[in-house]
Parts: sequence; structure tokens; C-alpha cells
Amino acid sequence: MAEKELAPGPRVRLAVLEEVLNLCRANSLWPMTFGLACCAIEMMAAGASRFDLDRFGAGVFRPSPRQSDLMIVAGTIAKKMEPTIVTLWEQMPAPKWCIAMGNCAISGGPFEYDGQYAIVPGADLIVPVDVYVPGCPPRPEALIQGFLALEDKITKGEKRNVLRRFKRRIVKSR
Amino acid sequence: MSLEDLREELSKVVDATDIFPRDYQKDGCVLEIRADADKIEAVAEATRDADFFLECITGLDFTNGPQVIYHFNAFSNLSRVLVRVQLARNQSLPTISSIYDAAIWYEREVFDLFGIHFDNHPDLRRILLPEDADFHPLLKDFGKVHAFRSTEEIYDEPDA
Amino acid sequence: MTNQMLEPITEQTYYLNMGPQHPSTHGVLRLFLKLDGEYIVEADPIIGYGHRGHEKMAESHLYEQFLPNSSRMDYLSGLLFNHGYVAAVEKMAGIEVPPRAEYIRVICAELNRISSHLLWFGTYIMDLGGFTPFLYCFDDRENILDILDHVSGSRLTYSYCRFGGVAKDLDDEFISATRQFIERLRSRWDDYHNLVTKNVIFIHRAKDVGVINRELALRFGCTGPILRGAGVAYDIRKAEPYSVYPELDFEIPTGTAGDALDRYMVRLQEMEQSLRIVEQALDRLPDGPIKAAVPHKVRPPKGDYYFAVESARGALGFYIVSDGTSYPYRLKARVPSYGNLQVLTDVLPGTLVADTISILGSIDIVVPEVDR
Repeated sequence: MAEKELAPGPRVRLAVLEEVLNLCRANSLWPMTFGLACCAIEMMAAGASRFDLDRFGAGVFRPSPRQSDLMIVAGTIAKKMEPTIVTLWEQMPAPKWCIAMGNCAISGGPFEYDGQYAIVPGADLIVPVDVYVPGCPPRPEALIQGFLALEDKITKGEKRNVLRRFKRRIVKSR
Repeated sequence: MSLEDLREELSKVVDATDIFPRDYQKDGCVLEIRADADKIEAVAEATRDADFFLECITGLDFTNGPQVIYHFNAFSNLSRVLVRVQLARNQSLPTISSIYDAAIWYEREVFDLFGIHFDNHPDLRRILLPEDADFHPLLKDFGKVHAFRSTEEIYDEPDA
Repeated sequence: MTNQMLEPITEQTYYLNMGPQHPSTHGVLRLFLKLDGEYIVEADPIIGYGHRGHEKMAESHLYEQFLPNSSRMDYLSGLLFNHGYVAAVEKMAGIEVPPRAEYIRVICAELNRISSHLLWFGTYIMDLGGFTPFLYCFDDRENILDILDHVSGSRLTYSYCRFGGVAKDLDDEFISATRQFIERLRSRWDDYHNLVTKNVIFIHRAKDVGVINRELALRFGCTGPILRGAGVAYDIRKAEPYSVYPELDFEIPTGTAGDALDRYMVRLQEMEQSLRIVEQALDRLPDGPIKAAVPHKVRPPKGDYYFAVESARGALGFYIVSDGTSYPYRLKARVPSYGNLQVLTDVLPGTLVADTISILGSIDIVVPEVDR
């Protein structure tokens, strides 16, 4: 009988602390300076004077993956670039998040057609993605909305998307 | 050096019947030269001595063998010269990278995309595709293309 | 630019890999450097990390379907690429463009050239360690983007030029906004010069660094501000006049030594010249239609055609082989940055690693344009 009086679950509840931590994480995202193509320019514009990502606590662009916790895949992923992106993602310390910015990073965008040999159609084939920002390229406002969506997600402590595509990595020949 | 002088120089290298004046308004170049693969070094030397720069090297693929197109231009008005080299399938051609440094990368690109081999090239590696790629994407039998034609279907015989 | 440290290659020699993810390589360029201490012995730029296969794509797409690709090659001066591609196909197919459309194209293309140079200005100074000019020039650049957004509906990758004309007519709002912008940018030059050009740190980082003279440019086929910095007044807009440029009055700014400072000055003066072009074109803007009647599918006659325009980075050429159908048989883009980047293999050896950033920044490359 004595065993039954013990409450199930952990004796120390960290839920409140976890919420506080999540709030802090959400409001101090450190994105990685890392552009692939056109979207990188809009990412720069979002960080520059008019749109000013600092308002959302996400303006500290870090050149090193070891100092950042958010990867923005901004542009087309060439097959030659793919291993580098995976390495960069693995070098980032957890907890870490990823935004796929632009149609190329979502699905290959305008460059995905029957017979394409050069690109990886979608960042979610190689890294887990949290937020998708569509557009070709997305306007800075769209990227900011993506940031806000990600901040919401982190604050609520939501689990990452179950990545349908990341799980079954398609290796297309050519 | 003017275009006439260059034409003079070139006629020493290739047959005069292989030099065609072209209309800039119609074709975008003023002179077309049809050279054999072994003449291209001499042609490039003539254009270099005439103070021309190498604008680009383009590969083309036809059913009767690939072509390599060289565009030369000078820092003056309307002076683009096109050199057309017709190759047989799997034929290689000499490099002009000792004459124009720019050719090192342009020839690497043609090798990468078309698999055309340049003899005596100092550094013939893949340039745009990953080093472990095993295909040459701009060949017409690779991937999806609209048509695969022979040269006769595209070019009329130029009037000299 | 040689130094005696280079001669004996000792065991001090080692390799340094810059990129493809490096804040100063402007995207995904990789530089493989062989170093002796702080001095570069050999430099090998490795490209292809942004290769998207534009040229293969053209072979299975209609001429019209390829139109959006053109501005995605060089996304900083998308309208200039757009103009080049459209004009090449028009020349092939023999389409006459109404004069109003030509003027509109020139106005928008020159605005695009200014925005490209402004972005270069900001990022170059940022590479050298000054963050403030970046914020200033993005402020001005947003003005241009607003103007072009108003007329074309896109901030960066415009597909505004169409075969036979442009997509939308200019309205009064565009014209007044452009005139305001010209005034505004002219009033900003003093700020830029006080902030950067007269800055002694900047001058030390740029003067006598990365000298590219005429002979070197000729060997590597460099064009654009690099060539003009070396004192050669070669500009496609003058050398192979296209569109309405022959009717407009502008100068080609040139440098003397061909170092990074000269290239910087050439680009700043080019922006002033572009403002002059825009102003004149606005004054002369004729009335009339903005689009010629063109068939639903463009079918250029058989043959090949090379058309060159001056992009923000140098001579851009489209070489198109047509087989008489509505699909290009082969489309090759001769991009200016390809030759401009290759010159690094000759310029970098003998310089310091720190100067690499300055030289690379002053050359102003766009990697997806090089890789296509």
C-alpha cells in the first residue's frame, strides 16, 4: 500500500522553468549568417535598417554555426552544397531550429522539373525544418512572420514537425 | 589593330574560304571563322596579338558531333569574332589556356558540362558539378531536352 | 605585388579553406588558399556551390518559360539580365519594340544598377569592418525597391521585361517617386564620402590592394568596373549600343591604377551617371504603346545569335542557338563574374590574407551568377 501513496512521475517538476527557458530562447534567436542565393539578399534586407529584425530579438547574426541556434536555409541547395549544409546543421548546438526560406528551400521551387540534376528539392530532405516561408524570394515581412511563427512555436514548447520527408530520404539518381 | 588586320593575320592561319563576314545586326558578331581542331591555337595566337580578349567558350552538342564556339572581342566598338570548331564524337582539341588565362576555367566548364577533352590543359577538373559526378549534363542524350539535331538542320551554308 | 617571403617554400606552408559558408565570400564561394605565414602562395577559387542548371533547363522550356530564370541568375541586377535575355530573343525573332517600352526598360534597368551598386557598397564596407554604411545604403536601396515594386510587383527577381515590351506602364506616382529619389540620393553623396571615401582606415585597406591592370584584364577577360578601374573606357552601352542608350548623354568613369580604391570610385561615379541617365530618360519619355504585338509563342528563325548588354558587373552576353522551334536549342549566358572571379588566381598570390577580403569585396561577384 505504501507504494501506491507515492505519486507517479518525477518528484521535481521543471515545467515552469522549462517555460521560462522557452520564453528566453524564443526571444533571443541567434541566426546563422548563411545565404545560398536570392533569398539571402532579402534576409539581409530583413536585418537592415527598415525591417530591423532586432525588434524581435533575432538580429544577432552569427557567422559561426557553433554560436547560433537558428539556421535559415535561404536559397537553392545545390547538390555540391548539400554535405556542407548537413555539416553546418550538425555543428550547431541544441536546441536548434531551422527555417526554410523561399520556394527553393521548400520544394526546389522554380528549378525543380523533370530532368533536374543539380539541386536538392527541399531543405527538409536533409535537415529537419520547423517553419516554411514561401515566396520567390519571400519579402522581408514574410520572413519576419516566419520568425514570429517560430517564436510562438518555441514559447509553446511545441515539438518539431514530424518530418514526413526527412524520414524517408529520397536519393534520386540524377 | 583593326579588324581588317586581324582578318589579314587570320587568313595566314586558316583558309580564306573559312572566314565569313557576319552582320552584327543579324548575328551579334562581325566575323565568323570555321577552324579545324588543330588550328585553334594559331587562331587564338592571332587574336591575342591583335589585342582581343576571350569572351567565352561554349559547347554545343549535335548528332554529328559536338562543336566548340569561341567568342573573342576587343575593347573597341563592334568587334566580336566567333570561331567555330566542329569535332567528331570523342575527339579532343588542344587547349588555348597557355595563350589566354581565361581559357583555363572556360575549358574546364566545357569539359564538365560536355565531356570534351582538352589536350595539355594544366588542370582539367570538374568545375561546376561535384568532383564525383559521373555525367556530363549538357549533352543532349542526358535528361530532358526538346530536340537533338544535326548541324545541317540549324545552320544554312553561310555565303562567303 | 611580390615579396621575398614567397621564394623559399618552407615547412611553414599550410592550407586554409575559406568558405563555402563564410561571411565574406558573398554566398557560397570557396577559396582554397595555400599560405606561407600570413602571405598567400596559391589561391584556388572553387565554384559550383550554387549551380542550378539554368542552361539545361532552357533546353526543355519555352522561351517564355525561361524568362523568370534570367533574373534569378544575378538576383542583384535582375532587370539587366532580364533586359539582356529579352532583347536577345527579340533581335533573333525580329520583334520591334515601341520606343516608350525601350525608355521604360532603360529607366528601370538603371535604377536596378544603382540598387546593385548600393548593396555592393554596403557589403564591401561591412567586409572591411564598418557596419554603419550598410544601414545607410540599405535605407536608400529600399527606396529603389519600393519604386520598382510599385511598377513590377517584385522586390528582387523582376520578370518585368516581356518579349516586345514591358509588363506594365509607368504611372505618375512612379515618375514623381523616381524624381524624389534622384534628389535624395544626390543629397546623400556627401554623407557617403564623409563616412567612407575620406576615411583613412578605408583608404589604407583599399589603396594599392589587388591591382588589376589592363594587361591582366585582357588575359582573363575581365569586364565592367574592374576593367574601367584599370583605365579602359569599355562599356557595352557605348561599344555595342543597344536600346536607347545612344540617344542619352552619359560618361564612362574610369580609374588609373586598377586597385580596389579605383574600382570603388568607378562604381560610385557610375551611380551618378545612372542617375543622369534616369533623369534624361524620364524627361524624354515618349507616349505610345508599351508592348508590341507578338505571337503567343516566340519562334526565332534558325541560326545563332549573340547579344551583349552591360550588367552591373560587366559584359553580359546571351548566346542562343535556335532550331526554328519555340524552344531554345542551346542557351549560354556569358556572365561577367566568371572572368572577374578567375582573375583572383593571379591577383591573390603575394598578398596578405586580410587583403583577400578587400580584393574579393572590390571585385563584387554574385556566386549563383558565376555558377548559373
